[in-house]
Amino acid sequence: MNANQPRSARVASSQVGLMLLIVCGAFTILSRQFLTPGNLLNVCTSASVVAIVGLGMTLAIASGNFDLSVGSTAAFAGCVTMSLVQRIGVAPAILAGLATGASVGLINGLIVTELGVPAFIATLGMLTIVRGAALIYTGGRDIYLYGQTQYKILSSGFAPVLLALALAFVLWFVLQHTRFGRHILATGSNAASARRVGVRTSLVLLGVFSIVGATAALSGLVLSAQVLTGNGRLATGLELSAIAVVVLGGTPLTGGKASISGTVLGSVLVAVINNGLNLLNISIFYQNVTLGLLLLGAIALEALGHRRTKQLTTP
Amino acid sequence: MSIRQTDQPTIPDAPATGNTINQLDWDLLWERFGIAVVTVVIWLIAGLTTPGFANTDNLVSVLRQSAFVGVSAVGMTIAIIAGAFDLSVGSTQALCAWAAVSVAKLAGVFPAFAVAVTLGGIVGLCNGFLVSLVRIPAFIATLGTMFLVNGLTYIVTNGQTARFSGKPFVWWGNGQVMGLPVPSLVFLGCALVGVAILHRTSFGRFVYAIGSNREAANVAGVPIVKTTILIFVVVGLFTGLGAMLLGARLYSAGPGLEPGFELNVIATVVLGGTRLAGGRGSMLGTVAAAILFATLANVLNLNHVDAFVQRVVVGLVLLLALSVEGVRRRLAEYWTKRAARTSQASQPVREDQL
Repeated sequence: MNANQPRSARVASSQVGLMLLIVCGAFTILSRQFLTPGNLLNVCTSASVVAIVGLGMTLAIASGNFDLSVGSTAAFAGCVTMSLVQRIGVAPAILAGLATGASVGLINGLIVTELGVPAFIATLGMLTIVRGAALIYTGGRDIYLYGQTQYKILSSGFAPVLLALALAFVLWFVLQHTRFGRHILATGSNAASARRVGVRTSLVLLGVFSIVGATAALSGLVLSAQVLTGNGRLATGLELSAIAVVVLGGTPLTGGKASISGTVLGSVLVAVINNGLNLLNISIFYQNVTLGLLLLGAIALEALGHRRTKQLTTP
Repeated sequence: MSIRQTDQPTIPDAPATGNTINQLDWDLLWERFGIAVVTVVIWLIAGLTTPGFANTDNLVSVLRQSAFVGVSAVGMTIAIIAGAFDLSVGSTQALCAWAAVSVAKLAGVFPAFAVAVTLGGIVGLCNGFLVSLVRIPAFIATLGTMFLVNGLTYIVTNGQTARFSGKPFVWWGNGQVMGLPVPSLVFLGCALVGVAILHRTSFGRFVYAIGSNREAANVAGVPIVKTTILIFVVVGLFTGLGAMLLGARLYSAGPGLEPGFELNVIATVVLGGTRLAGGRGSMLGTVAAAILFATLANVLNLNHVDAFVQRVVVGLVLLLALSVEGVRRRLAEYWTKRAARTSQASQPVREDQL
């Protein structure tokens, strides 16, 4: 088990944790509203949308792949669910939404494994296709839900936070304690040798992409429940935010390693910073600047630290 | 980078030597000229079937539309051949286009040019510095600068769009020289410069060398750091130039100019046959792919296809073009296996099945 939890990932996630503590401390001093239960719940709710899709993305990156289609998948699944809620009820509609996401993911996986298209391009193509599908499905209009308060349950109170935490636990368990998880990491660190020792990498990737699709759908459902509107343009650009959070959490893009806790902490960190900037009345325009600086700063520190240890250990 | 082909490299079962050579040739031919041929075929089909396609005004507008992504794609082709890539071109484009429009209003066309290109170059320099000296993977470094530049553009512009419709400035986006649109001529010029850079300079050879095998290039004495920085600067310069053309075309520019532009540019380069893994690629393919995307949009518009359906078609074309090689290889494998099976079952070997 220790071998599966790589040292660098653990170090990185504790780095993010430390940064989170510092940032929280700073905002507590600077703003009185920051450390109130209502505000903290706000922070966690907005963190959980990115965290949910980021957790799926962690798996994809650990398997040595990307999924750029998650934003479109989130929108499509949100629209499908919203339109079905009135017809077939809340629970079946949610299941249908998740199934939609998983099928999009499965198609991604099939394109990658069967047609030999690199994941970056395959999911880039699917990004435009699924976004188009979502817009066609809604006709470019909003789908409103009137009087369907039951559906709101997905986004009310602690629900998104609990969903994200539950998902984090499940995926952590899968990665650490199941054969499928070990196979994901093996595929990510070296697909060719994993295949040689009998890992069915195609099946592993199909599974991974389906999970990513389902998590994207889940975040789309939470998003659409927040606004009670289905819109084909929902979650534009979510894919790059999700990748940013995963990278911030210390999961390396080279594959073979994953830090579930890092992804969760990373998304909370981004949410805390955005929230704190809001509380301090700093323009929303600065949010992207800080995200960019944070990402570069964190990875630069890691890269430089890595180089120093390398210089020390190798003559 | 974690982009890798997931399929197994086929081990040639050495059927007849002539056949293996043929197979390799087909892949290479498709990679080099496939998209150019497809583009020509689509022009012919569109000309025959779509009324309104084959007239000068329309063709001019297709060529003009292809230029705005195309100019940036020229730089991106060089980056991807070197095995790097740049996600910040969308943000950079918005910043440069805004700067170009504002400066053109204040000081005229040539200062606008200078500012747009310089700003692009500066962003590229930052990217290059982060990738080569700080050693952040290109994907993450340019993702960071993407967010950073995007935020900075909103701050500098205060979210406002700059507008300017002075004749000499908008000529760069809308004018024509000898019947050809100015942006297309600039695009053509950029592509030629790109070809010259790749095939006539030591920098170009370094780009291919780093893309093919970074370690080997390093050992062979290729200046990795200098070349990497220069690659990102080149991407930035071309992006700045393209941004200025777009600003001139639209008479205006502001933050959030073209959402998803970076992915469009990468899609264009990849559709043109350049490998994301690096080491292989051509400018001809990029030019053809840029024209192909513009043609598709135009033909679908002329046939009154819904804008939403257009996105689906564009994605499908990308996937289809990129899976040609995988499908061909799968079929070849299938036929080899089948040939082996039939030759085991019955004595005569049928080589013509390949």
